[in-house]
Amino acid sequence: MELSVPDREFMYSGHVACPGCGAAIAMRFVLKALGEKIIMVIPACCWSIIAGPYPMSTLRVPVLHTAFETGGSVASGIKAALEVRGDHETTVVTWAGDGGTFDIGFQALSGAVERNEDFIYICYDNEAYMNTGIQRSSSTPYGAWTTTTPGQDWKKMRKKNIVEALVAHRIRYAATANIAFPEDLINKVKKAKNMKGSRFIHIFSTCPTGWRVPSEMSIKIARMAVQTNIFPLYEVENGVEYTINYRPKGYLVKEYFKLQGRFSHLTEEDLDQIQEMVEEDWKLLLRKAGVFSGS
Amino acid sequence: MKNSNRANMCVPLLIPRSYKTSEENKTGSWRFLRPRYLEKTAPCSSACPVGQDIPRIQMLAVQGSFKEAWELLLSENPFPGTCGRVCFHPCESACNRLEFDEAVAIRMIERFLADTASRYELQPRLNKLAEKGKKVAIIGSGPGGLSAAYFLALLGYSCDVFESSNKPGGMLRWAIPFYRLPLKVLEEEIARIESLGVRIFCNHHVEFEKFKHLRSNYDAIFVSCGYQKGRRLNIPGEESPGVEDGLTFLRELKSDPSSPSLHGSVAVIGGGNTAIDVARSVLRCGAKPVIVYRRRKEDMRAFGEEIKMALDEGVRIEELKSPLKIEKKESGVILTLQKMKVAGIDESGRAAIEPDNTDPEIVSYDRVFVAIGTEPSEPWYVCDSCSGKDIKLYNSVMRFDGQFPVIFGGDLTTEAKTVTNAIASGKEAAMALDVLFRIGKDFVLPEISRCRVGNGLSVSMEIYLNGERKNRVSHVVSYAEINTDYFNLIPRTPQPRLLREERINSFSEIDLKISGSVAMKEAGRCFNCGICNHCDNCYLFCPEIAVKRQDSEEGGLRAINYDYCKGCGLCVVECPRNAMVLEEESA
Amino acid sequence: MKTVMEGSHAVAEAVKLARVQVISAYPITPQTHIVERLSEYCADGSLDAKFLRVESEHSAMAALIGASSTGVRTFTATSSQGLALMHELLHWASGARLPIVMAEVNRAMAPGWNIWTDQTDSLSQRDTGWIQIYCEDGQEALDRTLQAFRLAESVNLPAMVILDAFFLSHTYEPVDIPDQAKVDEFLPPYEPKFLLDPGNPCAFNQLAPPDVYMEMRFSIQTAMQSAIGVLEEIQNDFSEIFERSYGSIEPVECDDADIILVTSGTVTSTCKEVIEKLRSAGEKVGLLKISLFRPFPGEAVRKVLSRTRKVAVVDRNCSFGSGGIFAQEIRSALCNVPDHPLVYGYVAGLGGRDITPELLEDIYWQTKNTDFPELDSFWMGIREVKDGIICSGS
Repeated sequence: MELSVPDREFMYSGHVACPGCGAAIAMRFVLKALGEKIIMVIPACCWSIIAGPYPMSTLRVPVLHTAFETGGSVASGIKAALEVRGDHETTVVTWAGDGGTFDIGFQALSGAVERNEDFIYICYDNEAYMNTGIQRSSSTPYGAWTTTTPGQDWKKMRKKNIVEALVAHRIRYAATANIAFPEDLINKVKKAKNMKGSRFIHIFSTCPTGWRVPSEMSIKIARMAVQTNIFPLYEVENGVEYTINYRPKGYLVKEYFKLQGRFSHLTEEDLDQIQEMVEEDWKLLLRKAGVFSGS
Repeated sequence: MKNSNRANMCVPLLIPRSYKTSEENKTGSWRFLRPRYLEKTAPCSSACPVGQDIPRIQMLAVQGSFKEAWELLLSENPFPGTCGRVCFHPCESACNRLEFDEAVAIRMIERFLADTASRYELQPRLNKLAEKGKKVAIIGSGPGGLSAAYFLALLGYSCDVFESSNKPGGMLRWAIPFYRLPLKVLEEEIARIESLGVRIFCNHHVEFEKFKHLRSNYDAIFVSCGYQKGRRLNIPGEESPGVEDGLTFLRELKSDPSSPSLHGSVAVIGGGNTAIDVARSVLRCGAKPVIVYRRRKEDMRAFGEEIKMALDEGVRIEELKSPLKIEKKESGVILTLQKMKVAGIDESGRAAIEPDNTDPEIVSYDRVFVAIGTEPSEPWYVCDSCSGKDIKLYNSVMRFDGQFPVIFGGDLTTEAKTVTNAIASGKEAAMALDVLFRIGKDFVLPEISRCRVGNGLSVSMEIYLNGERKNRVSHVVSYAEINTDYFNLIPRTPQPRLLREERINSFSEIDLKISGSVAMKEAGRCFNCGICNHCDNCYLFCPEIAVKRQDSEEGGLRAINYDYCKGCGLCVVECPRNAMVLEEESA
Repeated sequence: MKTVMEGSHAVAEAVKLARVQVISAYPITPQTHIVERLSEYCADGSLDAKFLRVESEHSAMAALIGASSTGVRTFTATSSQGLALMHELLHWASGARLPIVMAEVNRAMAPGWNIWTDQTDSLSQRDTGWIQIYCEDGQEALDRTLQAFRLAESVNLPAMVILDAFFLSHTYEPVDIPDQAKVDEFLPPYEPKFLLDPGNPCAFNQLAPPDVYMEMRFSIQTAMQSAIGVLEEIQNDFSEIFERSYGSIEPVECDDADIILVTSGTVTSTCKEVIEKLRSAGEKVGLLKISLFRPFPGEAVRKVLSRTRKVAVVDRNCSFGSGGIFAQEIRSALCNVPDHPLVYGYVAGLGGRDITPELLEDIYWQTKNTDFPELDSFWMGIREVKDGIICSGS
C-alpha cells in the first residue's frame, strides 16, 4: 500500500529512547516531512539524551543542543545568521519538550513569536518532565499522577492551552498533531515549512514510562487522546482562521484514562468531571472554529 | 602582518560535536520481547469449504491485480465462476467485518474476478507438475469429480472421467437453473479442466461390475456420483400422474432450451434449495408456485437469500403443512395437508413439529413437484460408515480394496451437500492420492492434516505444494484481534440485480455484473485478517527504524532488524490485521 | 581623527568597524547607549547587521549562541542584573567555544537598586570561561573591542570588554576613530572553524560523558592560557597598524617602587595622578594597571610585583566572606614567589561611590604605615550606620 509518507529517513537506529517512545516516533515523522535543508535546535528535553552521547548523533541534520529555556531565542539567532550569510533556504526548527515550551522556555518562545521570527517551533508534548523522572509541568493534565504530584496530591489544575496562548500572539501558523495520525502530522509540518514567520506545531507524544502504560500501547493511547477530544487535531492560521482536522465520534474520556497508570487513582466522579471539562473545551474550540454544534 | 593565529594552531579545540552515527549502539540488547511476522488464518478462509485464500484475493483485487487474484482462486478451486454465483458463501457468515458493519461481499468479488478473466479471455498460469505415470478413473463429472480430475492433472496424473449422462457437469448442469448459473460459465470452466488433458467420457454409466473392471486399467478410482435420486414422500397417491420429481423437472427444463409451458397452481413440496429452484422455475414457466413445507419458513434448508428472492418474485410458501395423501383429479391433483404446530426448538434452532389437532386441509393443484432431498442412486456408492481400514479425511474417504485405492467424495461423503463441499472433496482426494502414490498410505492423513486451513474442514493445495501460505498458522483471527482503528464504516456493496419484472419472465441471470472500481472498493473493505498487506504500519510506527521494507515484486514480508529492535511491541499492536506476534525473547 | 564621544559610543563605533553580523541585546542602564547607537547604525544602513531586539538578556545571549554557531560575528552589551541573568549561557558560550564579544558596563548588583559602577557583576562571572578585559578610557574601550573580536576568534572563546558605568560609559572624551580600511586589515572577516551546516550535519553540544568531558574542559583551559600570548601578538599587530599600544598589564613607575598600587578600570587614571603627586613628594610608589583579568596574566604580574615590598590592591568589588577579587588574584599569583611582597587589599568605591585622589593617597599611606596586612581586605570610607535592624545574638 502506498503511504503518503516520505521514504527518506533522517534518523539513525541506535538512539536511546525508551521502548515505545512517542517522542522518537514524532521526531522521525517530523524529519521526514522537513527534509534535509534544516538546522535543528534542541533545548534540554528527553531528546537531549535520546540523540546520543558524544561523539554520536542519531539525527542526519545539523543539531544545536542548547539550554532548557532557549528554544525560541537560539533559533532566532540561527535564523539571523543564516540571513546574514545569504542562506534563505534552510529552515530553522526548534524541537522542544513540554517543559521547555510551556514552562521554562515560554518567555523565549513568546518573544520569538511576538517578533514573528521565521522558524518552526515544534513541541513534542509528553505532559511532564520525563527526562528528569516524571515531574509535573504546566502541560500535565488535570488528574495526573507525577512524582511531584503523588498520592492524593494529584494535579488539580488544568493543562495549559499552549496553542491558544500562541494564537493570542497572532502567530502565522499553529497546529496540533499526534503520533497516531502520521499523515496529518506530516502534512502540517510540510505546510508549516512552506510558510514564513513563526510557526508552532504541538505534537502529542505518548510517554509509556511516565504515563505508566505498556510500550506497545503508545500509538493506541495517542489515538484515543484524539478520539476522545482530549487532544483535538486542529490548525489556526494568522491567529484567527481555525480548521478542525478530525471530528471524533464521541469516545468517552474514561476509556482513555483507564488505560493509564498515571490516572489509576481517579474515581468515577473525577472521570465524570474530566469528561465535562473536555466537553467544555471542545465546545469552546468549535465556537472558535465557527462550528456551532448542538451537542 | 604576522599571523597571530599561529599560536592558536597548537590549541586543541575539543568540542562536543558528533562525528559518527548512533548505529554502533545496538539497542537490540534491551529487548525482552521479540516481535515477529506471523501470518494467521482468516475466518473466511477457514469457513470456506475449499479454503480459498480470501484475504489475499481481496488484497490483490484492491491493487487491481485481477488476473493474479483469479489465478489464486484457481489454485484452490477450478470453478470460481460457478462458485462466485452459487456458493452458499459461509465465508461471508464468518467474516470478521460482520461485527464491525457488514460482511465483505466475497462471493460477488469472486464472480467479478472470474467474469473479468473470461471477458478478456485470460489464460491462467497453472503450474502443472511433471507426469507421474499413473492413471486415475473418476466416476461422475459433477463438481467433485471434475475437481479431482483438475487437481490430479495438475499434480501430474492422467485422469479419465466417466459420466452417465450425455454432458458433463452433474448437478451444475442439470439442477441449477440458468438464472443462477448461465451455461456459458459452466462450460468455460469445464473446458479449462479438459485443457489440462482430462478426458471426459459421457454416456458411460459405471455400474458395480464396470467399477470392478476399471481397477485393472487404473491405479485408483475416485467415486463422486452424487445424490441423484429424489427422495420419496412415502404417502398414498405419490405415484399419481401430475406428481413429479422436482429434480427431474429441473433436468428436463435445462436440457430443453424451449421451456415447457406450465399453468395454474403448482405445489412444490420441500424446503431445500431444490424446492426453491423448482418453485422459481415453475414461476418462470408461467404457473403459480406454492411451496408446501412442514416446518416454518425460517427452518427451511434453502439459502435465505434464495427464499427471499423467491418470495419477492411471487412464490407463496405454505408453512407448517405436511402432505398426508395425494389424489388424482380430472385436471390436476388434490393434496391433503395436515397442519403442524411447533413443539419446541432443537439445538440447531429449527422447530420440532407435531400435527395440531385441526382437520386436514384439502387443496387442489394443477401439478405437484416433490423436492424433499436426494439420495445415492446405487447402493454401492454409499459410503457413510467407515471401517478401521478406511482413511477418513475431512471431505472424503479413502478405502482400500485389497491394495487398490478407491476414494469416495462429493455428496457421498461431504457433511454439507453443496457444490463447494464437493469441490473440496475432489481436491482433497487428489492430494490424498498424490501422497499415497508418492510416499505411501501412512502419510495420507498427516499430510492432509498439514494442509488444513484454520480449524475448518478445508484443505489448501497451496499449502500442500509448499507455497508461502504454508507459513501461516492455523490460528483463526477473531474480531477482537483486529485493530479496528484503521477501518472506517463503509456499507457493503449491494449485489445489482435484474428487476423483479425482468426476472420472472425469463431465465436470464439475475445477478448483474459489477465494475472493476466497485469490486476494488468492496475488496478494500476486507480486513485482510491475519495476512500482511504491506500497509506498513509496522514500518511507520517503529521508533527504532528497525523495520525494513524489502520491496520485491511480490511485496514480501517486512523484516525486523533485531540489532536495534527494543521489543516495544508497537508494530504488533498497530498491525491492523494481526499478522504479527510478540513473543518472549529466548535467553 | 579624534572625536569627542561617550565611552558607550566608542564601543558602538568599534562594533561597527568590526563589521559585526548579528547583534542581540536587551536594554539595561547604563549599557543602553551602546545598543541604541548600534540600532541607529543598523537602521541607517551604516552597519549591515541583523539586530535582534529580544525579550531578555538571557535570550540575547542565547540568540548569539545560535548565531555564532552558524558562523557569524556577534555582539551584545549588558550590565549587572542582565549579565547575571545571562550567567548560565555564559558557560554555554564558552563551552561551545563561540567567539561572542560583549561589552559589559560594570554596574552594582541589586538590591537595593543601584545603577552606578561596581565590578562585582563582571567578576562574579570570572569562572564562566570568558576572556575579560577592563578598560580605562574611551579610546581603550574602542581599541579593546576590536582586539576582543580578534582574540576571541583566534582562541575560540567569548570575550567581555568591561567599562565602568558612567565614569566611562557616559563620559565624553576625545577618541580616535580608526579608518575602516585599517580595521579591516587588523580584523579580517570571521572564518568559523566549525558551524551548523546542513551540508555537514553534526550535532553540537550534546551529552558529554565523564570519559570526554574533562578533556573538553582541559581544551578550554589550554585555549584560555594561550590567549595571553595570542593577545600579545594581536597587540603587536595592533600597534603596527594603529600606532597605539596596550598590554595585558601596564606598569607605571614600578621599577624602583617600594609600594605598588594595583588598579583596574577608570580608577587607574585617577591613580596615575596620585602616583605623580606622591613621586614628586619623594615616595617610591608605582602603579600596576590590570587590563586582562581572564586569563589572568600571572607571569607578567609576578615580573612587576615580585621586586617590590608591598602591594596595595584597590578593588571596586567584593567576594563576600573573602574580600576584593583582584587582591585574591594578586595573592595567588605571588604566593609561590620566594620573599614575595605583602599584599594589602582595599575595597573601595562600591555602588558608584567616588574613589577620590585623597582616598587613594590614604590607601598608600595606610599601606606604608602598616607593617602587616591584618585583614584580607580593608573597606575604605565605611560610614557609621544607625538605622540597621539590630539582630539579637549577633
